[in-house]
Amino acid sequence: MNAALLETRGLRKAFGGHVVLDGVDLAFPPRQLSALIGPNGAGKTTCFNLLTGFLSTDGGRILWKGTDITALAPDRRARLGICRSFQILNLFDDYTVLENIRVASPAMRRRAFDCWTPAASVSEAEDKAAAMIRLIGLHGREHVAARFMSYGQRRLLEIGLALAGEPELLLLDEPTSGLGSRPMETLRELVQRLAEDLTIVVIEHDMDFVLRLSRHIAVLHRGQVIAQGPPEAIRDDPQVREAYLGTLRYARGRR
Amino acid sequence: MPDLAELVTQLLNGVVLGLLYAIIALGFMLILGTMEVINFSHGVLFALGGYSALALGPYVGWWGALLLAPVIVGGVGVLLELGVRRTYGRDPLFGLLFTFGAALALEEVIRIIWGPRGYTVSAPAFVAGPFHWGFLFYSKYRVLVVLLAVVLLGLVWAFLERTPYGAMIKAGAHDHEMVRALGINLTRLRAVVFALGAALAGVAGVIAAPMWSLKPTIGAEAVMPAFIVVVIGGIGSFPGAVIGGLLLGLTSGLSNLIVPRGSILVMYALMTVILLWRPRGLRGQKSMLEL
Amino acid sequence: MLAMFGVFLGLPAILPWIGGYTYLGTEVMIWAIFALGYNLLLGYTGLPAFGHGAFFGIGGYFLAVSQKWWTGGLWLPLLIGILGTAACGAVVALLVARKRGIYFALLTIAFGVMFSFLVFVLGTWTGGEDGLTGLQRPSAAGVNLRGNLAFYYFVYAFFVVSTIVLWRIVRSPFGQVIGAIKQSETRARAVGYDTARYKWAVFTLSCAFAGLAGGLYALARFGAFPEPMSLQQSGNVVLMCLIGGGFASFYGPVLGVAVFLVLRDFFSTMTDHWMLLYGLLFMAIILFMPEGILGLVKRLRQPAAFHDTREAEAARTGHEP
Repeated sequence: MNAALLETRGLRKAFGGHVVLDGVDLAFPPRQLSALIGPNGAGKTTCFNLLTGFLSTDGGRILWKGTDITALAPDRRARLGICRSFQILNLFDDYTVLENIRVASPAMRRRAFDCWTPAASVSEAEDKAAAMIRLIGLHGREHVAARFMSYGQRRLLEIGLALAGEPELLLLDEPTSGLGSRPMETLRELVQRLAEDLTIVVIEHDMDFVLRLSRHIAVLHRGQVIAQGPPEAIRDDPQVREAYLGTLRYARGRR
Repeated sequence: MPDLAELVTQLLNGVVLGLLYAIIALGFMLILGTMEVINFSHGVLFALGGYSALALGPYVGWWGALLLAPVIVGGVGVLLELGVRRTYGRDPLFGLLFTFGAALALEEVIRIIWGPRGYTVSAPAFVAGPFHWGFLFYSKYRVLVVLLAVVLLGLVWAFLERTPYGAMIKAGAHDHEMVRALGINLTRLRAVVFALGAALAGVAGVIAAPMWSLKPTIGAEAVMPAFIVVVIGGIGSFPGAVIGGLLLGLTSGLSNLIVPRGSILVMYALMTVILLWRPRGLRGQKSMLEL
Repeated sequence: MLAMFGVFLGLPAILPWIGGYTYLGTEVMIWAIFALGYNLLLGYTGLPAFGHGAFFGIGGYFLAVSQKWWTGGLWLPLLIGILGTAACGAVVALLVARKRGIYFALLTIAFGVMFSFLVFVLGTWTGGEDGLTGLQRPSAAGVNLRGNLAFYYFVYAFFVVSTIVLWRIVRSPFGQVIGAIKQSETRARAVGYDTARYKWAVFTLSCAFAGLAGGLYALARFGAFPEPMSLQQSGNVVLMCLIGGGFASFYGPVLGVAVFLVLRDFFSTMTDHWMLLYGLLFMAIILFMPEGILGLVKRLRQPAAFHDTREAEAARTGHEP
């Protein structure tokens, strides 16, 4: 088993008195598609926020390639190679697709204090952006402002922004949220292709997708990891069943 | 070196000032917390309160003015809210700029009606004169002010904490959607809050009028302390506003002993220090304003 | 842009015909430099700084103090005006760069007032309430600047240079980053930008331009005065940017300055209580036209049917993209 790219040990987070994450130990193996699943309210997005530095921990450590990054600011982590997409779309709405991708690329970032050259002439950034736009399937829409695109296209751009940072680890928070079945398939294919070169962790609700495509799954329930391993193990795990069925039963009972 | 009598006098002055600041700040904070609007005209509303005391005094006496001014100033507040409405949901800058324009216009209206000269408003007769206690001579009126302020703060607190309407106001500050979903008339709630905030400023104006000379510019001078108190005490915290007000009043009063004209600078220095130490103020909760 | 430069180049000739005077044109250019620099902060980065008049005033004082008490001359005091103001801005920016929204606005107001106060406290050097008078306009490269016309073109040179510099900044990678910060600071951080640093830089830059404008203004009035530093006057530059459409266009502030100064002259001849009209104007703009004149124009010109900006441009001009 390869050494984990990203690990957490004893991660804790509480809001006021409410404990959202209670001693979470995770390990994500490199160059694989992993999934973080669990019923609603289990703490998945909070976990992502902690991993990317948007929330501070109340306990525990986060290790990136063995180094402790628990105290690192979110922009530093992004520069290390940990990029994320957001569950609620968070785009640069007034920028075109090209401008969105371009500003997120390290090629542009390196020139960020340049106040004189026209941004459009940073050829490295332009070329990389063009390639990225092709990759995510938005070719032809480079000069459309983000706010004018369809929801499906915006979701693609959301992933694109994370990808543009040339990450080693890509964290996708419910990337297919709100999509119809065809766009969802397109996006899933994209994620699958990306997983061949990158380490990806996806927060997902579709068990079918998760069990079929991911190689490593971590299950969160009420702030704790109740199971972690390959899909076969998870599928048969009684605790996981209980967690999901339990919520199902609850939902049925209420009806 | 200031002697003991001077020191105590300044301390008491600080308390009086601080309580007034707290009342003004509270009104400001209600508007800020519920509608996320920085009400720049809050100072002018304070001034309007004072001028109401001037205008109404001869007819209904100071006590009459104390009761009527909040109504008048509150009414002005309702009118203002009609305009501010269009800025809800947008960059807080727009609400700020609207009230800024209103402040300028209203101050000029005051100048048109009453002119630029200073006026004095006399305190009610039974509290005229000094109050003698041991070595200390202190203005009886100011003692009354302290009592009134405490009562007023208590009333506001009771309203917010114990009445259903107060609960709605607090809820409205946190979650507009929910409030609307519960069927509460958000539009009316906002108008009421603005009126209440304005009324508080107005009352403070009436109370303050006998203590200081009444000029059109006192509005502009009262706005900044309100900001500072809210920033120090933290947005959304009643005790924060009171503590912040007292803190500001006391430092202002004490610095008058040491550096007579430097009290304003001390106020800002205090605010800067506290903001650097506690970015949300002493008792602030995380508000949507920070996102 | 060339059109704008052309207009200003010929302005002294046109102005007397439309009831204006050369000095008005000079004032417009000076405030335009200030407003363009300020719009970098307000319109492009979305930071509501509300005490910036203080930096304009400080620029004037740096120039005045250094000319009167220290070095004399023209170029050096001007340089000191720019650098000194930028330095003050840098310090303030350090303290406010991590804030946003309301807290940012409040802190900038506070610092603005503090600086005004400082000017009064240092009255022996700054002349306190009456300001520091008796400034000179030494010759620049042999040209006498005492006359209005000569000074106009002196300021014109700075106006042209400033506009070009700001245009380049806005089109540069740096400009892209600050635009991103305005639209979503969270996302900007998520893609790896230490946003506080950029906010600091923009603030300092805008203060440098404020310092230049302030210095030129002091030269224009032969003295540095505390009025522009007041809270009220700080609101002026914001209004200027808004009227013209600072959120929508690079040139918005220039138009806004022109409109504002013309209206000011107009109102003050009409009545003593022009402040009332001014306040009402403020409110009206916010209520009915927050995107400013140029913003309105842009909206009217952009056909709503087209969403691809390139296609829209083609449809409008008749050229292929």
